[in-house]
Amino acid sequence: MSDMMDAGLVTQTEPFPETEKEFAGLLNELRALDPDDLEGKMVVSGFVNHPYGPDEARCLECMYYLVHRQWCDLPELAVPVEANWWCRLWRI
Amino acid sequence: MPNMLWLQGGACSGNTMSFLNAEEPSACDLVTDFGINVLWHPSLGLELGENLQKMLNGLVSGEIPLDIFVFEGSVVNAPNGTGQWNRFAGRAMKDWVSDLCKVAGYVVAVGDCATWGGIPATAPNPSDSQGLQFLKRSHGGYLGTGYTSKAGLPVINVPGCPAHPDWITQIVVAVATGRGGELTLDEFQRPKTFFTSFTQTGCTRNMHFAYKVSATEFGQRKGCLFYDLGCRGPMTHSPCNRILWNRQSSKTRAGMPCMGCTEPEFPFFDLAPGTVFKTQTVMGVPKDMPTGVDKSGYIKLTAAAKAASPRWAEEDIFVV
Repeated sequence: MSDMMDAGLVTQTEPFPETEKEFAGLLNELRALDPDDLEGKMVVSGFVNHPYGPDEARCLECMYYLVHRQWCDLPELAVPVEANWWCRLWRI
Repeated sequence: MPNMLWLQGGACSGNTMSFLNAEEPSACDLVTDFGINVLWHPSLGLELGENLQKMLNGLVSGEIPLDIFVFEGSVVNAPNGTGQWNRFAGRAMKDWVSDLCKVAGYVVAVGDCATWGGIPATAPNPSDSQGLQFLKRSHGGYLGTGYTSKAGLPVINVPGCPAHPDWITQIVVAVATGRGGELTLDEFQRPKTFFTSFTQTGCTRNMHFAYKVSATEFGQRKGCLFYDLGCRGPMTHSPCNRILWNRQSSKTRAGMPCMGCTEPEFPFFDLAPGTVFKTQTVMGVPKDMPTGVDKSGYIKLTAAAKAASPRWAEEDIFVV
């Protein structure tokens, strides 16, 4: 994932899912992907390899982030992530 | 021997079922140990028809003293304020409620429907339901803000959907044994002894709340249910994790998010599809914070807690 983002992978960071319906819509998009389609997951979820937004939000604060495993525990993603990354499924 | 009457308005009988499951004290203990005379109850009352009417009229006239009036269910006012959609013993239930509350020593509202209207009073409230002395958060309800029973107390509200069996019987025993004056009530007239702490108090997932580890699916024993699954334990006043259900467990202990059923706004979000078991957020931050916590403090706390969390917090520690 890090290599893909370093290579300039463009992901959909906007719009941020403000409502539960929008959030659920993104989850449905992720569920429709092949579980091994890592690039597709990254694009739909809007991954970036740096903090994002006016609050400099990071995976570190996200409820789905497991610090010791450096892992995103959101079942639809379930990918290794870094503390300073961010995606638009961020929730605290 | 104090007389107790239990009537049921717009209700599902859930609080009756709860009452019959009480253990400390049990419904039988009320009679055998505390000498309460259960005049009538929807599941236990023997009188029917004219005999029941005669007894109710005797209570209203003062011929039979009414020491404790327990009401379950909403006060139904429809149609057009007549209350005829909920008739009982020959007249509108709301008229019995009016008359019985005038002569009752204590009035105890049991369950959300009797306390603040509950699910029946949720918009559009087709039955024009009210709680005895509240309509949701608004003080007043059917009896009005100034109502007090003969003992000088307002309606004692024991909310919940249903109320825990022992909350009901312990309050009934307190008033029946002359300790009603010792009860202190909160702003919603709930006994403080039960409704000052939070549902979260005593929750076995508190470690996961502290370290900000979320349960992401039902049935997980790891993780807190507040972050993603809509649990209202941190902002709901109840002793559900202090006085356990069936003496065994609680919703949150069993992996079921608290739905906040002891608060006047229940059901939250007006039963909109997809909102009940999902934490409502604004830009990824919970719309409803734990009581007393603000957004910036919450974000700082989260960063610090996650950074300091131990490895075991990410694992299932309740191994069978």
